[in-house]
Amino acid sequence: MSLDFSVLLRFQEALALGLWTTVKLTLICIVLGCSLGFLVGLARTAPNAIVRGIASVYVEFFRGTPVLIQLFWIFFCLPLILGIELSNLASGVIALTLYMGAITSETFRASLKSVGREQMDACIALGLPRRVQVMNVILPLAVLRAVPTLLSNCVSLFKESALVSAVGMADLMFVGQNISNNTARPVEVLTVVALIYFAIAFPLTRAVTLVEGRILKKLAI
Amino acid sequence: MTSASAPLVAIRALHKSYGPHIQVLKGLDIEMKPGERVVVIGPSGGGKSTLLRVMMGLEKIDSGAVTFGGKPYISSAGPDAKTVIDTEVRRSIGMVFQHYTLFPHLSVIQNLVLAPCKVRGEKKASAMRRAQALLERFGLGAKANAFPAQLSGGQKQRVAIARALMLDPKLMLFDEVTSALDPELVAEVEQVILQLANQNMPMMIVTHDMWFARNIASRVIFCAGGVVVEDGPPEQVLGAPREERTREFIDRVFHIKQ
Ligand SMILES: Nc1ncnc2c1ncn2[C@@H]1O[C@H](COP(=O)(O)OP(=O)(O)OP(=O)(O)O)[C@@H](O)[C@H]1O
Ligand SMILES: [Mg+2]
Repeated sequence: MSLDFSVLLRFQEALALGLWTTVKLTLICIVLGCSLGFLVGLARTAPNAIVRGIASVYVEFFRGTPVLIQLFWIFFCLPLILGIELSNLASGVIALTLYMGAITSETFRASLKSVGREQMDACIALGLPRRVQVMNVILPLAVLRAVPTLLSNCVSLFKESALVSAVGMADLMFVGQNISNNTARPVEVLTVVALIYFAIAFPLTRAVTLVEGRILKKLAI
Repeated sequence: MTSASAPLVAIRALHKSYGPHIQVLKGLDIEMKPGERVVVIGPSGGGKSTLLRVMMGLEKIDSGAVTFGGKPYISSAGPDAKTVIDTEVRRSIGMVFQHYTLFPHLSVIQNLVLAPCKVRGEKKASAMRRAQALLERFGLGAKANAFPAQLSGGQKQRVAIARALMLDPKLMLFDEVTSALDPELVAEVEQVILQLANQNMPMMIVTHDMWFARNIASRVIFCAGGVVVEDGPPEQVLGAPREERTREFIDRVFHIKQ
């Protein structure tokens, strides 16, 4: 077998478009998913048992089922139930946001727990209203402490996003598969696609170590 | 009763337990006059921290009541009733804890201005000016932009005191604020509190440091088993206690100290 990577040159543009879809989808779902995750993390520590219950059912459900079935469900079942057409991107965003929300809510729950009673006591002793406690103390502390794990969550999402190719979204994985089928050169094409994923994910995982060492140690949080 | 001798704080029949089995405060009655500096001493687990936490409005109570400046502050009709805390009154009380509770993600000066700006709506510039002046007074002028992790324990506690003072409290609570410090850092924190005492700041202090207790107290309360065992001027309670349990405790603590 001889390898010929030059076949890929013709598909630069297609690959770039696919990568752009992957990155766009990932970024949108990181922002929405982390916001959802923070709220759900808060809800899981709420005094109200019903709020806690709903939040944990959601989290357990999404952690306990394959992402692929979640994607299929959102792509094929949700439009039937809602009776509306959803664009590919919209379905992908909904599915991966729900997945990301469930994963990061666990991250936030742990970091919220680490904002201990002592910080809360200080907030009350200073007379800070609940809104200020959350926005100026709990949120920044929880986010800072969650940053290393959140970064890993983001890397996971970036990789998991390849699953949307299974429902026909033209992301990097989907484009790669297509090129591979059309050129009958799976080794070259799929290797390059894997390397593209790796080239983005690897620096991010290194960043986790960096952040842990520098920022968090300086603030001792 | 004239207003001069009207109590600043009146604690009546205060009961507090943690869960059904741990009864900590079993009917405390304490009155504190304006300008008094009350030092609370007693054996470990006797409920000193709990008393201060209740006064700060951090804990539910089973029954009893606390008034502040003649106004109802905390009350509860019984173990199953809700604890009512007047948050407006609570704002006139400041507290410093044993463990440093500075916000680690905020610089020293940001720690100081957060509450005045957010609670009282003070302008940032004015709060910053007051904060800087307070830090200078406590010998921390150069640390305004440092983060808590960059400070020594003694510096952190002085910042914590300054942070509480930013809200112009009418009563300060100190719960073993020097216990977690290296011995050589204790004095700088105690000096700051003595400085406040000179300005007639009413305070309630829990400490195991007998030198500090003698020097700061205008009155000493010995608290054990959830009740007040002895209550009087420092010369009496620390020097010539009337109660056997007080004497035993003082002997033991002094013995360890020497
Ligand atoms: N949050 C809590 N939950 C359950 N029990 C508690 C809690 N806080 C304190 N206690 C218990 O209440 C009792 C009184 O505690 P407290 O901290 O008030 O004592 P203290 O007089 O301050 O002691 P020390 O000198 O050791 O600080 C102790 O037996 C303690 O174990
Ligand atoms: Mg204590």
